[in-house]
Amino acid sequence: MSLAVSAIEYIDNVKNGNTTVEDFVAKTLEQISKHDTKLHAYLSINENALDQARQTDKKIKAGEKIGAFYGMPISVKDNICVKGGKTTCASKMLEGFVAPYDATVVSKLKNQDAILIGKTNLDEFAMGATTEYSAFGPSRNPWNTEYVPGGSSGGSAVSVSALECIASLGSDTGGSVRNPASFCSIVGLKPTYGLVSRYGLVSYANSIEQIGPFGRRVEDVALLLNHIAGKDQNDSTTIDNHSQDYLDKIDAGIQGKKIGVISEMSKGDGLDKNVENAFWRAASAFESLGASVDQVSLDLVQHTVATYYVLTTAEAGSNLSRYDNLRYGYSLDLEGYEFKSYISKARRNFGPEVIRRMILGGFVPSAGFAGKYLLKALKVKSKLKKEIVDAFKKFDFLISPTVPILPFKFGEKTEDPLAMYLADINTITANLTGIPAISVPFEIHDGLPIGIQIHANMLQEKLLLQAAYALQGTTKLPGVPL
Amino acid sequence: MIRLVTKEDIEHVARLMRIDIENVDEYFESIQKILNYFDNLDKVDLASEEIPIHEVTVSELRDDKYVPFESKLISQLKSYKEGFIRAPKMN
Repeated sequence: MSLAVSAIEYIDNVKNGNTTVEDFVAKTLEQISKHDTKLHAYLSINENALDQARQTDKKIKAGEKIGAFYGMPISVKDNICVKGGKTTCASKMLEGFVAPYDATVVSKLKNQDAILIGKTNLDEFAMGATTEYSAFGPSRNPWNTEYVPGGSSGGSAVSVSALECIASLGSDTGGSVRNPASFCSIVGLKPTYGLVSRYGLVSYANSIEQIGPFGRRVEDVALLLNHIAGKDQNDSTTIDNHSQDYLDKIDAGIQGKKIGVISEMSKGDGLDKNVENAFWRAASAFESLGASVDQVSLDLVQHTVATYYVLTTAEAGSNLSRYDNLRYGYSLDLEGYEFKSYISKARRNFGPEVIRRMILGGFVPSAGFAGKYLLKALKVKSKLKKEIVDAFKKFDFLISPTVPILPFKFGEKTEDPLAMYLADINTITANLTGIPAISVPFEIHDGLPIGIQIHANMLQEKLLLQAAYALQGTTKLPGVPL
Repeated sequence: MIRLVTKEDIEHVARLMRIDIENVDEYFESIQKILNYFDNLDKVDLASEEIPIHEVTVSELRDDKYVPFESKLISQLKSYKEGFIRAPKMN
Protein backbone atom coordinates (compact mmCIF):
# COMPACT_ATOMS: atom_id res chain seq x y z
CA MET A 1 0.00 0.00 0.00
CA SER A 2 1.26 3.47 -0.91
CA LEU A 3 2.28 5.81 1.88
CA ALA A 4 0.21 8.51 0.17
CA VAL A 5 -3.11 7.10 1.41
CA SER A 6 -5.62 9.20 3.33
CA ALA A 7 -6.34 8.36 6.97
CA ILE A 8 -9.70 6.90 6.00
CA GLU A 9 -8.11 4.70 3.29
CA TYR A 10 -5.43 3.55 5.73
CA ILE A 11 -8.04 2.42 8.26
CA ASP A 12 -10.04 0.58 5.56
CA ASN A 13 -6.90 -1.18 4.34
CA VAL A 14 -5.92 -2.33 7.82
CA LYS A 15 -9.49 -3.43 8.55
CA ASN A 16 -9.65 -5.43 5.30
CA GLY A 17 -6.27 -7.04 5.93
CA ASN A 18 -4.66 -5.42 2.86
CA THR A 19 -1.83 -4.22 5.04
CA THR A 20 -0.57 -4.81 8.56
CA VAL A 21 0.16 -1.95 10.92
CA GLU A 22 3.73 -3.22 11.23
CA ASP A 23 4.25 -3.13 7.49
CA PHE A 24 2.90 0.40 7.19
CA VAL A 25 4.82 1.75 10.19
CA ALA A 26 8.03 0.09 8.93
CA LYS A 27 7.56 1.75 5.52
CA THR A 28 6.90 5.08 7.22
CA LEU A 29 10.12 4.75 9.24
CA GLU A 30 12.00 3.93 6.02
CA GLN A 31 10.55 7.05 4.41
CA ILE A 32 11.74 9.08 7.40
CA SER A 33 15.27 7.69 7.28
CA LYS A 34 15.38 8.25 3.53
CA HIS A 35 14.21 11.88 3.48
CA ASP A 36 14.41 13.43 6.91
CA THR A 37 18.14 14.11 6.97
CA LYS A 38 17.36 16.70 4.31
CA LEU A 39 13.81 17.75 5.31
CA HIS A 40 14.34 17.77 9.10
CA ALA A 41 10.66 17.46 9.97
CA TYR A 42 11.42 15.46 13.12
CA LEU A 43 13.32 16.35 16.28
CA SER A 44 12.86 12.87 17.78
CA ILE A 45 11.47 9.53 16.65
CA ASN A 46 9.50 7.08 18.79
CA GLU A 47 11.88 4.14 19.11
CA ASN A 48 9.05 1.84 20.22
CA ALA A 49 6.90 2.56 17.17
CA LEU A 50 7.49 -0.85 15.53
CA ASP A 51 6.80 -2.70 18.79
CA GLN A 52 3.61 -0.74 19.25
CA ALA A 53 2.65 -1.58 15.64
CA ARG A 54 3.14 -5.31 16.31
CA GLN A 55 1.06 -5.06 19.50
CA THR A 56 -1.72 -3.38 17.54
CA ASP A 57 -1.58 -6.09 14.85
CA LYS A 58 -1.88 -8.70 17.60
CA LYS A 59 -4.95 -7.02 19.04
CA ILE A 60 -6.53 -6.85 15.58
CA LYS A 61 -5.76 -10.51 14.88
CA ALA A 62 -7.17 -11.60 18.23
CA GLY A 63 -10.36 -9.70 17.50
CA GLU A 64 -9.89 -7.43 20.52
CA LYS A 65 -11.51 -4.02 20.73
CA ILE A 66 -9.44 -1.61 18.68
CA GLY A 67 -9.37 2.20 18.67
CA ALA A 68 -10.45 4.37 15.77
CA PHE A 69 -6.93 4.97 14.39
CA TYR A 70 -5.88 1.31 13.91
CA GLY A 71 -2.20 2.00 14.57
CA MET A 72 -2.02 5.00 12.27
CA PRO A 73 1.33 6.83 12.47
CA ILE A 74 0.68 10.38 13.66
CA SER A 75 3.34 12.99 14.46
CA VAL A 76 3.10 15.61 17.21
CA LYS A 77 4.65 19.09 17.38
CA ASP A 78 7.44 19.20 19.93
CA ASN A 79 5.66 21.71 22.18
CA ILE A 80 3.01 19.10 23.08
CA CYS A 81 3.94 16.71 25.89
CA VAL A 82 4.24 12.97 25.25
CA LYS A 83 5.05 11.14 28.49
CA GLY A 84 8.55 9.73 28.76
CA GLY A 85 9.78 11.44 25.59
CA LYS A 86 11.70 14.62 24.95
CA THR A 87 9.73 17.86 24.61
CA THR A 88 12.17 20.56 23.56
CA CYS A 89 10.01 23.31 22.00
CA ALA A 90 13.00 23.51 19.62
CA SER A 91 14.82 25.45 22.34
CA LYS A 92 18.20 24.85 23.91
CA MET A 93 16.51 25.89 27.14
CA LEU A 94 14.55 22.61 27.15
CA GLU A 95 17.13 20.37 25.52
CA GLY A 96 16.89 17.02 27.27
CA PHE A 97 13.59 17.81 29.06
CA VAL A 98 11.50 14.65 29.38
CA ALA A 99 7.74 15.20 29.69
CA PRO A 100 6.38 13.63 32.89
CA TYR A 101 2.81 13.33 31.55
CA ASP A 102 0.77 13.12 28.35
CA ALA A 103 -1.07 16.14 26.97
CA THR A 104 -4.83 15.51 26.87
CA VAL A 105 -4.76 15.33 23.06
CA VAL A 106 -1.96 12.77 23.26
CA SER A 107 -3.84 10.53 25.73
CA LYS A 108 -6.86 10.76 23.47
CA LEU A 109 -4.86 9.66 20.40
CA LYS A 110 -3.19 6.84 22.34
CA ASN A 111 -6.56 5.64 23.68
CA GLN A 112 -7.70 5.30 20.06
CA ASP A 113 -4.64 3.23 19.09
CA ALA A 114 -2.74 5.89 17.18
CA ILE A 115 1.03 5.37 17.02
CA LEU A 116 2.86 8.58 17.87
CA ILE A 117 5.68 8.23 15.40
CA GLY A 118 7.74 11.27 16.42
CA LYS A 119 7.99 14.85 17.61
CA THR A 120 8.19 17.56 14.96
CA ASN A 121 10.28 20.68 14.51
CA LEU A 122 9.02 24.21 15.13
CA ASP A 123 10.22 27.76 15.61
CA GLU A 124 11.56 28.04 19.15
CA PHE A 125 8.56 28.07 21.52
CA ALA A 126 6.31 28.38 18.42
CA MET A 127 7.49 31.94 17.78
CA GLY A 128 7.94 32.30 14.04
CA ALA A 129 6.50 31.51 10.64
CA THR A 130 9.23 29.48 8.92
CA THR A 131 10.95 27.10 11.45
CA GLU A 132 14.12 29.17 10.87
CA TYR A 133 14.06 30.07 14.57
CA SER A 134 14.35 26.42 15.65
CA ALA A 135 17.47 26.06 17.81
CA PHE A 136 18.09 22.74 16.05
CA GLY A 137 17.98 24.03 12.46
CA PRO A 138 15.04 24.61 10.09
CA SER A 139 12.78 22.13 8.34
CA ARG A 140 12.71 22.24 4.54
CA ASN A 141 9.71 22.46 2.24
CA PRO A 142 9.34 19.10 0.43
CA TRP A 143 7.95 20.92 -2.62
CA ASN A 144 11.24 22.75 -3.00
CA THR A 145 13.90 22.35 -0.36
CA GLU A 146 15.32 25.81 -1.05
CA TYR A 147 12.11 27.22 0.41
CA VAL A 148 10.73 27.52 3.94
CA PRO A 149 7.91 25.15 4.90
CA GLY A 150 6.05 27.85 6.87
CA GLY A 151 5.65 27.78 10.60
CA SER A 152 5.67 27.62 13.38
CA SER A 153 4.36 24.03 13.07
CA GLY A 154 6.56 23.57 9.98
CA GLY A 155 7.88 20.14 11.00
CA SER A 156 4.34 18.80 11.37
CA ALA A 157 3.34 20.09 7.93
CA VAL A 158 6.50 18.70 6.31
CA SER A 159 6.02 15.29 7.96
CA VAL A 160 2.49 14.99 6.55
CA SER A 161 3.34 16.44 3.15
CA ALA A 162 6.45 14.24 2.70
CA LEU A 163 4.54 11.04 3.61
CA GLU A 164 6.53 10.64 6.83
CA CYS A 165 3.24 10.04 8.70
CA ILE A 166 -0.47 10.21 7.89
CA ALA A 167 -1.52 13.09 10.09
CA SER A 168 -0.11 15.44 12.69
CA LEU A 169 -0.99 17.76 15.54
CA GLY A 170 0.35 21.29 15.65
CA SER A 171 -0.52 24.44 17.56
CA ASP A 172 -1.87 27.65 16.07
CA THR A 173 -1.37 30.95 17.88
CA GLY A 174 -1.38 33.26 14.86
CA GLY A 175 -1.57 30.87 11.92
CA SER A 176 1.04 28.31 12.96
CA VAL A 177 -1.07 25.41 11.66
CA ARG A 178 -2.66 27.09 8.64
CA ASN A 179 0.46 28.86 7.34
CA PRO A 180 2.65 25.72 7.01
CA ALA A 181 -0.36 23.74 5.75
CA SER A 182 -0.68 26.28 2.95
CA PHE A 183 3.07 26.33 2.19
CA CYS A 184 3.27 22.50 2.10
CA SER A 185 0.00 21.84 0.20
CA ILE A 186 -1.86 20.01 2.96
CA VAL A 187 -4.95 20.70 5.09
CA GLY A 188 -4.60 22.43 8.48
CA LEU A 189 -7.35 23.42 10.92
CA LYS A 190 -7.36 25.96 13.76
CA PRO A 191 -10.39 24.94 15.82
CA THR A 192 -12.63 27.30 17.82
CA TYR A 193 -10.81 28.54 20.93
CA GLY A 194 -11.69 26.04 23.66
CA LEU A 195 -12.77 23.17 21.40
CA VAL A 196 -9.51 21.28 21.96
CA SER A 197 -7.78 21.02 25.35
CA ARG A 198 -4.45 22.82 25.73
CA TYR A 199 -3.45 20.73 28.76
CA GLY A 200 0.10 19.57 28.03
CA LEU A 201 0.73 22.19 25.33
CA VAL A 202 3.64 24.39 26.38
CA SER A 203 2.13 27.87 26.73
CA TYR A 204 3.19 30.75 24.54
CA ALA A 205 0.10 32.99 24.32
CA ASN A 206 -2.55 30.89 25.98
CA SER A 207 -5.50 33.30 25.62
CA ILE A 208 -5.61 32.67 21.86
CA GLU A 209 -3.69 29.50 20.95
CA GLN A 210 -5.24 26.18 20.00
CA ILE A 211 -3.99 22.73 19.09
CA GLY A 212 -5.04 21.84 15.55
CA PRO A 213 -4.85 18.82 13.21
CA PHE A 214 -3.03 18.44 9.88
CA GLY A 215 -3.88 15.91 7.16
CA ARG A 216 -3.48 15.43 3.44
CA ARG A 217 -7.27 15.35 3.08
CA VAL A 218 -10.08 17.37 4.70
CA GLU A 219 -11.78 14.17 5.91
CA ASP A 220 -8.58 13.16 7.75
CA VAL A 221 -8.62 16.43 9.67
CA ALA A 222 -12.30 15.84 10.51
CA LEU A 223 -11.45 12.36 11.81
CA LEU A 224 -8.70 13.73 14.05
CA LEU A 225 -10.95 16.49 15.35
CA ASN A 226 -13.59 13.87 16.25
CA HIS A 227 -11.13 12.35 18.68
CA ILE A 228 -9.30 15.34 20.16
CA ALA A 229 -12.18 17.80 20.75
CA GLY A 230 -14.25 18.25 23.88
CA LYS A 231 -14.37 19.26 27.52
CA ASP A 232 -11.32 18.58 29.67
CA GLN A 233 -11.29 19.19 33.41
CA ASN A 234 -7.61 20.10 33.16
CA ASP A 235 -8.33 23.08 30.88
CA SER A 236 -11.05 25.40 32.17
CA THR A 237 -11.40 27.09 28.77
CA THR A 238 -12.61 23.90 27.05
CA ILE A 239 -16.12 23.62 25.65
CA ASP A 240 -18.43 20.59 25.61
CA ASN A 241 -19.10 19.79 21.93
CA HIS A 242 -21.43 16.88 22.77
CA SER A 243 -19.16 14.46 20.86
CA GLN A 244 -20.15 15.95 17.53
CA ASP A 245 -19.26 13.77 14.51
CA TYR A 246 -17.44 16.04 12.03
CA LEU A 247 -17.06 13.27 9.44
CA ASP A 248 -20.76 12.56 9.24
CA LYS A 249 -22.27 14.32 6.17
CA ILE A 250 -18.92 15.95 5.33
CA ASP A 251 -20.01 15.67 1.68
CA ALA A 252 -23.21 17.69 2.26
CA GLY A 253 -22.00 20.42 -0.09
CA ILE A 254 -22.46 24.18 0.18
CA GLN A 255 -25.44 24.77 -2.10
CA GLY A 256 -27.12 28.05 -1.12
CA LYS A 257 -24.46 29.06 1.40
CA LYS A 258 -23.35 32.68 1.61
CA ILE A 259 -19.64 33.35 1.37
CA GLY A 260 -17.95 36.66 2.15
CA VAL A 261 -14.59 37.56 0.64
CA ILE A 262 -12.68 39.55 3.27
CA SER A 263 -11.61 42.61 1.24
CA GLU A 264 -8.73 43.56 3.54
CA MET A 265 -7.16 40.11 3.10
CA SER A 266 -7.70 39.64 -0.61
CA LYS A 267 -6.25 42.76 -2.22
CA GLY A 268 -3.55 45.35 -1.69
CA ASP A 269 0.17 45.81 -2.08
CA GLY A 270 1.18 42.98 0.21
CA LEU A 271 -0.71 40.38 -1.82
CA ASP A 272 1.23 38.35 -4.40
CA LYS A 273 -0.44 38.48 -7.85
CA ASN A 274 -0.26 34.71 -8.30
CA VAL A 275 -1.85 34.14 -4.90
CA GLU A 276 -4.53 36.70 -5.74
CA ASN A 277 -5.36 35.02 -9.06
CA ALA A 278 -5.54 31.58 -7.47
CA PHE A 279 -7.78 32.98 -4.75
CA TRP A 280 -10.29 34.35 -7.24
CA ARG A 281 -10.34 31.00 -9.04
CA ALA A 282 -11.24 29.47 -5.65
CA ALA A 283 -14.01 32.04 -5.19
CA SER A 284 -15.39 31.03 -8.62
CA ALA A 285 -15.14 27.37 -7.62
CA PHE A 286 -17.34 28.12 -4.60
CA GLU A 287 -19.88 29.79 -6.91
CA SER A 288 -19.86 26.77 -9.21
CA LEU A 289 -20.70 24.66 -6.13
CA GLY A 290 -23.88 26.68 -5.64
CA ALA A 291 -22.73 29.21 -3.05
CA SER A 292 -23.07 32.97 -3.42
CA VAL A 293 -19.91 35.06 -3.10
CA ASP A 294 -19.85 38.72 -2.01
CA GLN A 295 -17.34 41.16 -0.60
CA VAL A 296 -17.25 41.95 3.10
CA SER A 297 -15.09 44.58 4.75
CA LEU A 298 -13.50 43.99 8.15
CA ASP A 299 -12.00 47.39 8.78
CA LEU A 300 -9.88 46.35 11.76
CA VAL A 301 -7.95 43.62 9.92
CA GLN A 302 -5.32 46.29 9.11
CA HIS A 303 -4.64 46.59 12.85
CA THR A 304 -4.57 42.91 13.72
CA VAL A 305 -0.82 42.38 13.33
CA ALA A 306 -0.04 45.14 15.85
CA THR A 307 -2.80 43.90 18.18
CA TYR A 308 -1.62 40.30 17.92
CA TYR A 309 2.04 41.04 18.65
CA VAL A 310 1.21 43.29 21.60
CA LEU A 311 -0.97 40.60 23.18
CA THR A 312 1.25 37.61 22.40
CA THR A 313 4.51 39.22 23.51
CA ALA A 314 2.88 40.28 26.79
CA GLU A 315 1.68 36.72 27.39
CA ALA A 316 4.99 35.23 26.26
CA GLY A 317 6.90 37.48 28.66
CA SER A 318 4.82 36.06 31.47
CA ASN A 319 4.63 32.43 30.29
CA LEU A 320 8.35 32.12 29.63
CA SER A 321 9.29 33.48 33.05
CA ARG A 322 9.13 29.86 34.29
CA TYR A 323 12.38 29.09 32.46
CA ASP A 324 14.72 29.89 35.29
CA ASN A 325 16.93 26.85 34.75
CA LEU A 326 16.02 25.56 38.21
CA ARG A 327 12.77 23.78 37.46
CA TYR A 328 13.69 22.99 33.85
CA GLY A 329 16.75 23.52 31.83
CA TYR A 330 20.23 22.57 30.93
CA SER A 331 23.38 22.05 32.91
CA LEU A 332 24.77 25.31 34.28
CA ASP A 333 26.72 25.20 37.51
CA LEU A 334 25.12 27.11 40.38
CA GLU A 335 28.45 28.14 41.82
CA GLY A 336 29.69 31.65 41.27
CA TYR A 337 26.28 33.25 40.66
CA GLU A 338 23.81 35.08 42.83
CA PHE A 339 20.16 34.29 42.18
CA LYS A 340 19.22 37.00 39.67
CA SER A 341 22.39 36.81 37.64
CA TYR A 342 22.09 33.02 37.47
CA ILE A 343 18.64 33.25 35.85
CA SER A 344 19.76 36.01 33.47
CA LYS A 345 22.81 34.01 32.46
CA ALA A 346 20.77 30.83 31.98
CA ARG A 347 18.39 32.66 29.67
CA ARG A 348 21.18 33.34 27.24
CA ASN A 349 20.15 29.96 25.93
CA PHE A 350 17.02 31.49 24.42
CA GLY A 351 17.32 32.29 20.72
CA PRO A 352 17.15 35.89 19.44
CA GLU A 353 13.45 35.84 18.46
CA VAL A 354 12.40 34.59 21.91
CA ILE A 355 14.54 37.28 23.56
CA ARG A 356 13.09 39.94 21.26
CA ARG A 357 9.54 38.90 22.13
CA MET A 358 10.28 38.70 25.85
CA ILE A 359 11.69 42.23 25.82
CA LEU A 360 8.66 43.47 23.86
CA GLY A 361 6.53 41.53 26.33
CA GLY A 362 8.19 43.40 29.15
CA PHE A 363 7.51 46.75 27.47
CA VAL A 364 3.90 46.57 26.42
CA PRO A 365 2.28 45.90 29.82
CA SER A 366 4.74 48.05 31.83
CA ALA A 367 3.85 51.19 33.77
CA GLY A 368 3.73 54.11 31.36
CA PHE A 369 3.24 51.88 28.31
CA ALA A 370 0.30 49.63 29.22
CA GLY A 371 -2.33 52.23 28.28
CA LYS A 372 -0.64 52.84 24.95
CA TYR A 373 -0.11 49.19 24.02
CA LEU A 374 -1.65 46.37 26.05
CA LEU A 375 -4.98 47.92 27.07
CA LYS A 376 -5.49 49.35 23.60
CA ALA A 377 -4.76 45.99 21.96
CA LEU A 378 -7.29 44.30 24.25
CA LYS A 379 -9.92 46.83 23.18
CA VAL A 380 -9.12 46.35 19.48
CA LYS A 381 -9.60 42.63 20.06
CA SER A 382 -13.09 43.33 21.50
CA LYS A 383 -14.01 45.59 18.61
CA LEU A 384 -12.74 43.11 16.02
CA LYS A 385 -14.90 40.43 17.62
CA LYS A 386 -17.96 42.66 17.08
CA GLU A 387 -17.02 43.12 13.40
CA ILE A 388 -16.83 39.34 13.05
CA VAL A 389 -20.15 38.77 14.82
CA ASP A 390 -21.77 41.26 12.43
CA ALA A 391 -20.16 39.62 9.38
CA PHE A 392 -21.53 36.21 10.36
CA LYS A 393 -25.04 37.69 10.51
CA LYS A 394 -24.78 38.04 6.72
CA PHE A 395 -22.45 35.17 5.76
CA ASP A 396 -21.94 31.48 6.53
CA PHE A 397 -18.24 31.58 5.64
CA LEU A 398 -15.52 34.19 5.24
CA ILE A 399 -12.67 33.42 2.84
CA SER A 400 -9.23 34.73 1.98
CA PRO A 401 -5.86 33.47 0.79
CA THR A 402 -4.30 31.66 3.79
CA VAL A 403 -1.00 33.52 3.35
CA PRO A 404 -0.74 36.62 1.13
CA ILE A 405 2.56 35.46 -0.37
CA LEU A 406 4.05 32.31 -1.90
CA PRO A 407 6.55 30.24 0.11
CA PHE A 408 9.85 32.12 0.17
CA LYS A 409 13.52 31.20 0.37
CA PHE A 410 15.48 30.70 3.58
CA GLY A 411 16.87 33.90 5.08
CA GLU A 412 14.58 36.21 3.10
CA LYS A 413 12.79 37.57 6.13
CA THR A 414 14.96 36.75 9.13
CA GLU A 415 16.74 40.12 8.91
CA ASP A 416 13.48 42.01 9.24
CA PRO A 417 11.24 40.60 12.00
CA LEU A 418 8.43 43.02 11.16
CA ALA A 419 8.27 41.77 7.56
CA MET A 420 8.04 38.24 8.98
CA TYR A 421 5.20 39.31 11.31
CA LEU A 422 3.25 40.80 8.40
CA ALA A 423 3.05 37.36 6.73
CA ASP A 424 0.52 36.54 9.50
CA ILE A 425 -1.96 39.24 8.44
CA ASN A 426 -4.57 36.82 7.05
CA THR A 427 -4.41 34.19 9.77
CA ILE A 428 -4.43 36.09 13.07
CA THR A 429 -8.03 37.33 12.90
CA ALA A 430 -9.26 33.80 13.67
CA ASN A 431 -7.02 33.65 16.74
CA LEU A 432 -7.97 37.08 18.06
CA THR A 433 -11.68 36.35 17.69
CA GLY A 434 -11.65 32.64 18.60
CA ILE A 435 -13.41 31.49 15.41
CA PRO A 436 -12.34 28.33 13.54
CA ALA A 437 -10.43 28.55 10.25
CA ILE A 438 -9.00 26.00 7.86
CA SER A 439 -6.43 26.09 5.06
CA VAL A 440 -7.20 23.94 2.01
CA PRO A 441 -4.53 23.30 -0.67
CA PHE A 442 -5.78 24.76 -3.93
CA GLU A 443 -3.07 25.26 -6.55
CA ILE A 444 0.62 24.79 -7.25
CA HIS A 445 2.25 27.81 -8.90
CA ASP A 446 5.74 27.21 -10.35
CA GLY A 447 6.14 24.31 -7.96
CA LEU A 448 5.02 26.32 -4.92
CA PRO A 449 1.74 25.59 -3.09
CA ILE A 450 -1.12 28.07 -2.55
CA GLY A 451 -3.77 27.48 0.12
CA ILE A 452 -7.24 28.96 0.58
CA GLN A 453 -8.49 29.93 4.02
CA ILE A 454 -12.12 29.47 5.09
CA HIS A 455 -13.46 30.85 8.39
CA ALA A 456 -16.74 29.85 10.02
CA ASN A 457 -18.58 31.13 13.09
CA MET A 458 -17.80 29.90 16.62
CA LEU A 459 -18.13 26.10 16.96
CA GLN A 460 -19.28 25.71 13.34
CA GLU A 461 -16.48 23.25 12.51
CA LYS A 462 -18.96 20.85 10.96
CA LEU A 463 -20.09 23.42 8.39
CA LEU A 464 -16.49 24.59 7.94
CA LEU A 465 -15.28 21.08 7.11
CA GLN A 466 -18.18 20.61 4.67
CA ALA A 467 -17.11 23.78 2.82
CA ALA A 468 -13.46 22.71 2.85
CA TYR A 469 -14.41 19.26 1.57
CA ALA A 470 -16.46 20.81 -1.23
CA LEU A 471 -13.54 23.03 -2.28
CA GLN A 472 -11.14 20.09 -2.12
CA GLY A 473 -13.41 18.27 -4.59
CA THR A 474 -12.79 20.97 -7.21
CA THR A 475 -9.01 20.55 -7.11
CA LYS A 476 -6.66 18.15 -8.80
CA LEU A 477 -3.23 18.58 -7.29
CA PRO A 478 -0.01 16.79 -8.17
CA GLY A 479 1.75 14.55 -5.64
CA VAL A 480 4.67 15.89 -3.66
CA PRO A 481 7.85 15.80 -5.83
CA LEU A 482 10.11 13.80 -3.51
CA MET B 1 2.93 62.34 22.86
CA ILE B 2 5.35 59.95 21.25
CA ARG B 3 8.30 58.87 23.33
CA LEU B 4 10.97 57.11 21.36
CA VAL B 5 12.38 54.06 23.02
CA THR B 6 16.04 54.39 23.94
CA LYS B 7 18.74 51.78 24.32
CA GLU B 8 18.64 52.44 28.06
CA ASP B 9 14.90 51.63 28.09
CA ILE B 10 15.59 48.30 26.42
CA GLU B 11 18.43 47.48 28.79
CA HIS B 12 16.21 48.39 31.73
CA VAL B 13 13.34 46.17 30.58
CA ALA B 14 15.75 43.32 29.81
CA ARG B 15 17.11 43.62 33.31
CA LEU B 16 13.59 43.51 34.80
CA MET B 17 12.80 40.46 32.63
CA ARG B 18 16.05 38.82 33.89
CA ILE B 19 17.46 38.53 30.39
CA ASP B 20 21.16 38.96 29.90
CA ILE B 21 21.72 40.60 26.53
CA GLU B 22 25.31 40.96 25.53
CA ASN B 23 24.77 43.52 22.81
CA VAL B 24 21.73 45.79 22.98
CA ASP B 25 22.41 46.98 19.42
CA GLU B 26 21.40 43.54 18.17
CA TYR B 27 17.83 44.24 19.31
CA PHE B 28 17.57 48.02 19.38
CA GLU B 29 16.64 48.66 15.76
CA SER B 30 14.12 45.81 15.42
CA ILE B 31 12.42 46.56 18.74
CA GLN B 32 12.15 50.25 17.97
CA LYS B 33 10.72 49.46 14.53
CA ILE B 34 8.18 47.04 15.99
CA LEU B 35 7.12 49.45 18.76
CA ASN B 36 6.71 52.18 16.14
CA TYR B 37 4.51 49.80 14.18
CA PHE B 38 2.44 49.18 17.33
CA ASP B 39 1.69 52.93 17.29
CA ASN B 40 -0.79 52.13 14.50
CA LEU B 41 -3.16 51.20 17.29
CA ASP B 42 -3.45 54.92 18.11
CA LYS B 43 -5.47 55.32 14.92
CA VAL B 44 -8.35 53.10 16.07
CA ASP B 45 -11.38 54.75 17.66
CA LEU B 46 -11.79 52.82 20.88
CA ALA B 47 -13.79 55.35 22.90
CA SER B 48 -16.71 53.00 23.56
CA GLU B 49 -14.72 49.79 23.90
CA GLU B 50 -14.34 47.75 27.06
CA ILE B 51 -11.56 45.36 27.93
CA PRO B 52 -12.80 41.79 27.33
CA ILE B 53 -13.16 39.54 30.34
CA HIS B 54 -13.24 35.74 30.29
CA GLU B 55 -15.63 34.58 32.99
CA VAL B 56 -15.92 31.04 34.31
CA THR B 57 -18.61 30.04 36.80
CA VAL B 58 -17.10 28.43 39.89
CA SER B 59 -19.49 25.47 39.60
CA GLU B 60 -17.92 24.66 36.22
CA LEU B 61 -14.48 24.27 37.71
CA ARG B 62 -13.20 20.90 38.85
CA ASP B 63 -13.39 20.10 42.57
CA ASP B 64 -10.80 21.90 44.65
CA LYS B 65 -9.24 18.84 46.20
CA TYR B 66 -5.78 17.41 46.55
CA VAL B 67 -4.88 14.93 43.82
CA PRO B 68 -1.41 13.42 44.21
CA PHE B 69 0.69 13.63 41.06
CA GLU B 70 1.75 10.05 40.52
CA SER B 71 4.31 10.76 37.83
CA LYS B 72 7.88 11.52 38.65
CA LEU B 73 7.55 15.24 38.11
CA ILE B 74 10.28 16.05 40.60
CA SER B 75 12.77 13.93 38.71
CA GLN B 76 12.97 16.89 36.31
CA LEU B 77 14.16 19.20 39.05
CA LYS B 78 17.80 20.03 39.10
CA SER B 79 19.84 19.90 42.32
CA TYR B 80 16.96 18.22 44.19
CA LYS B 81 17.74 16.69 47.57
CA GLU B 82 15.46 15.47 50.37
CA GLY B 83 12.54 17.67 49.49
CA PHE B 84 14.59 20.78 48.70
CA ILE B 85 15.91 22.38 45.54
CA ARG B 86 19.29 23.97 45.73
CA ALA B 87 19.34 27.43 44.12
CA PRO B 88 21.99 30.13 43.81
CA LYS B 89 22.27 32.34 46.89
CA MET B 90 19.98 35.35 47.23
CA ASN B 91 21.63 38.70 47.91
